[in-house]
Amino acid sequence: MLRRGKDRASVLVNFDVDRSAVEAARRDPRAFEALYRKYVAQVYSFALYELRDPHAAEDLTAQVFLRALDGLPGFREQGEAPGSSFRVWLFQICRNAVSNERRRVRRHPESPLDLALEVHSGDDVQAEALDREQLAQAWRQIDLLPTERRQALVLRFVEEMSTREIGEVLGRSEGATRVLIHRALQTVARQIGRGSDVPRH
Amino acid sequence: MFPDTDDAAIQADAYIDALLIGHRRVPVSLPETEALLTRQAGVRDTIRLLEKGLPRFHPSFLFEEWLADQLHRKAAGDHDAEAHGQVVPITVIRLPHSPAGRVPDRRLLVGGAIASGVSIAGAAMIAWRRSRN
Repeated sequence: MLRRGKDRASVLVNFDVDRSAVEAARRDPRAFEALYRKYVAQVYSFALYELRDPHAAEDLTAQVFLRALDGLPGFREQGEAPGSSFRVWLFQICRNAVSNERRRVRRHPESPLDLALEVHSGDDVQAEALDREQLAQAWRQIDLLPTERRQALVLRFVEEMSTREIGEVLGRSEGATRVLIHRALQTVARQIGRGSDVPRH
Repeated sequence: MFPDTDDAAIQADAYIDALLIGHRRVPVSLPETEALLTRQAGVRDTIRLLEKGLPRFHPSFLFEEWLADQLHRKAAGDHDAEAHGQVVPITVIRLPHSPAGRVPDRRLLVGGAIASGVSIAGAAMIAWRRSRN
């Protein structure tokens, strides 16, 4: 029975927006294409930010989706866990693949990520140049962050995931993830000379 | 010295949420969340910088279509195998009373009518009875 009035607002709903697409793909794997089209850019972006090489990012994207297609029948249990979702599961696969790839290559990508800096965002050339310089500095600092902090920032700003989702991808609580991201931001702010925060007393 | 408390993290998180929601053209009261960060100007500016400066990349059209094709082939293969049956090798379990060598190694057709666990159990029973004769 539906509750009316104030009670309705207090009902928490864990709803995976991809549930119907996942069900369809489970019934007929050919329907997996809808999920692939929806998430290909997100997976590719994460891989690119982590590996810094478009070809390696493409290889990893292919691995992730092929594994996801293979593993879809086993996704049921996880999908029924509170707050879990197909996207979280996909990024867990992606994160594992990145970590395997890094172990295989046995080196951290050395080239700075200048792909992002090539993107022009506005008409104000001067402001844009300043932003690009600061962004380049920020990237150098993000690059030096521990893996989890760096990945959390990419998941938050590029993939636009919620802190709860990021926590699930990283295997941390929501609160711990929030603090992780905050610390990463503080580190970057301090290093790029924007660390003029007022201490609390 | 920077504030590093749950409160500070929650405020920063709310500000990021407000900025990201703005990407979806949903009206949001940005100044309200921004005001929460008056004591964290450095974090606020960094959030703004990253929010503007980190784009999402799309793979090349060629790659996207190539992978779509790979997935489609794999999915169609899986689907056909499920629908029409596929010969897969299985290990035959030797039952306690079956004399060694009496149960011939065999392959089982999985799919269609005998894909269910009940049918597999039935097939095992037949194999066992044949081995007793």
